[in-house]
Amino acid sequence: MKSLLEKRAVPADSSLASGGITVLALLLAFIIAGVLFIPFGANPFTAFIELFSEAFGSLRGFGQTLVQAIPLILIAQATIVIWRSGMGYIGFEGCFTIGAAAASWVALGGTPQGMWIMLPLWAFWPIVLVVAFMAGALWAGIVGIMRVRFGGNDVLISLMANYVAAFLVQYLVSGPMRAVGDLPQTPLLPMQSWLPFIMHGSRAHMGLLIALICSLLVWVLIRKTPIGYEMIVSGMNAKAARYGGINVIRRQMLAVFLGGGMAALAGLCMVLGVQHRLMDGLSGGVGFVGVIVALLARLNPLVVIPTAILYGGLQVGGSAMQRESGLPTSVIFILESLVVLLILAGDILRYYRLRWPGRGRPSVAEAASETQS
Amino acid sequence: MNLWSHLDAAFFITWLAAAVRLAGPVLLASLGEIYAERSGVLNIGLEGTLLMGALSSYLVSIYSGSAVLGFFAGGVGGLVVSLLLSFFYLRALASQVVVGMVFNILAGGLATYIYSLVIGDKMSPTVDMFNALPVPLLQKIPYIGPIFFNQPWPLYLTLGLVVLAQWVLFHTRFGLSLRAVGENPKAAHAAGLNVQRIRTYGVMLSCLGGGLAGGYLVTAQIGLFRDNIVSGQGFIALAIVIFGRWSPLKALFAAFIFGAADALQLSLQLFNNILPAQVLLALPYLLTILAMSGVIGKTVQPGALTQPYRKD
Repeated sequence: MKSLLEKRAVPADSSLASGGITVLALLLAFIIAGVLFIPFGANPFTAFIELFSEAFGSLRGFGQTLVQAIPLILIAQATIVIWRSGMGYIGFEGCFTIGAAAASWVALGGTPQGMWIMLPLWAFWPIVLVVAFMAGALWAGIVGIMRVRFGGNDVLISLMANYVAAFLVQYLVSGPMRAVGDLPQTPLLPMQSWLPFIMHGSRAHMGLLIALICSLLVWVLIRKTPIGYEMIVSGMNAKAARYGGINVIRRQMLAVFLGGGMAALAGLCMVLGVQHRLMDGLSGGVGFVGVIVALLARLNPLVVIPTAILYGGLQVGGSAMQRESGLPTSVIFILESLVVLLILAGDILRYYRLRWPGRGRPSVAEAASETQS
Repeated sequence: MNLWSHLDAAFFITWLAAAVRLAGPVLLASLGEIYAERSGVLNIGLEGTLLMGALSSYLVSIYSGSAVLGFFAGGVGGLVVSLLLSFFYLRALASQVVVGMVFNILAGGLATYIYSLVIGDKMSPTVDMFNALPVPLLQKIPYIGPIFFNQPWPLYLTLGLVVLAQWVLFHTRFGLSLRAVGENPKAAHAAGLNVQRIRTYGVMLSCLGGGLAGGYLVTAQIGLFRDNIVSGQGFIALAIVIFGRWSPLKALFAAFIFGAADALQLSLQLFNNILPAQVLLALPYLLTILAMSGVIGKTVQPGALTQPYRKD
């Protein structure tokens, strides 16, 4: 049979092949997104130059890019830990939201009335980090327990839990934690609880350090420690791992716990570093884009950092372009998701090679099937 | 207002009629999704499918001036989407979770892009909507009549499709194949079934249902298109599939319960917050989580759900 795709005898698994596919996918996605600018009367080249110079060209812009990248890095690391251990958890929006709420609660001194408003600053930071982390860890942990104890589908449960978290925060900001005023939001958090800025003349904040430390820890965990190794083995083949004496359930629970906590820290960075108050709809889909970043980095904790900065930059440049020339920001979302879809489509090339009918000599597989018949 | 003095028959009829109204689109979407999930494909991209269906329905409605054409254009939009999704689910054999999730983001971007390309900053025109179409005789039944039989006709169509789906899934050869492929693709392949083809039908039906549900939203409920028109209803439909245990008739009840919680939240807002609205809004999701985790009876999902099938 003559077909365009011909099965490879061995899948092309080299890092060159997967790297090549990623680069091709990026290029193609940018070309498609560029074409989408044309009906709006924009020159794709100048549009992209504008986009990147806005996101990376100035200290202020780059700082903004880093601000966007911080939650993406944290959620991507969370994705890596959880997915590599074999769960399909996608409830990062929920963990983010819960973490943001917990951090605001501590920053407001355990509202109402601010019970520990006198909390010294040196005690505030460890407490707020631990409380937010634990809140997210427990939130994700519930899903983990349901999966390992009752065999529920972790993908679906975590998806549903996102909504429960969103409604919980909606309730908090319109009820117990609400500030006096028309909008459903908390009062402005006290200045002392804001994450300090780290670069003069930009809005990049200390959350970057949190994100980088988490990245390093994840890298150490999965590359250097036996526990991380056991997590990965559990993810690759749970049956074999169990046979090898690994407590798969415990490893997966730990992964969900760590991941949930890190995603909650992303929420913390958003309220303490950017918004400085808790409000409804804070995440804006970052829980899903973070997963995309992790996928694009092929679940590699170090590659996540540049990838998140790229995606953060796209967001910053995209909104700048919309402000200035009316080009729709939605093109950025199209671009971001196309990259992943094209990589997935490109993976076909790892299993099949393209062959134009009537050219080239028959492949090994084809020759074998012909001798059989 | 005093709540208790208002709990009369009229309150219940208004409430439950609203419940049915809100249940309509999500039920339609979940019917389609049942086919996909029974064949082993979890189409998380349903949310995006609804959005694309709603967009195509809206555009066709305003340009043709016909709500009927608009409604079915939603289904066509869904089928176009299914070309893309089934390629990734079944040809590229990618993770269904990843594809669905990424597709939702893509659809969100595409819908806004296309909308601003076609409509731009103009005031967005409203579409002609379906009016309630009382069914002769049936609408006279006390209680049941005004609740179920004084609704726009897409609801009757959906109710008909529930019965059809129940029959197709459990009493036809196609339904048997679909379930076999979703339960154990290897065995189904050995028995001579074409797994990928049957799953393609599952995905197509899921997208058709999702697209029509989008059309339903535009032509029978909202009459406009907005970026957030779907706002999680695709995910509610996924929840309904679970809560309805992958069976169309049970999904009907599940959708009705979800709609009732939603409608109750709307009417309780009139009564000075006896209960925070968010409790009722979160209730369907909580129930679904409990249903999945086996607290409310055992839920058994199709055996091969989310597992891509690779021959050889």
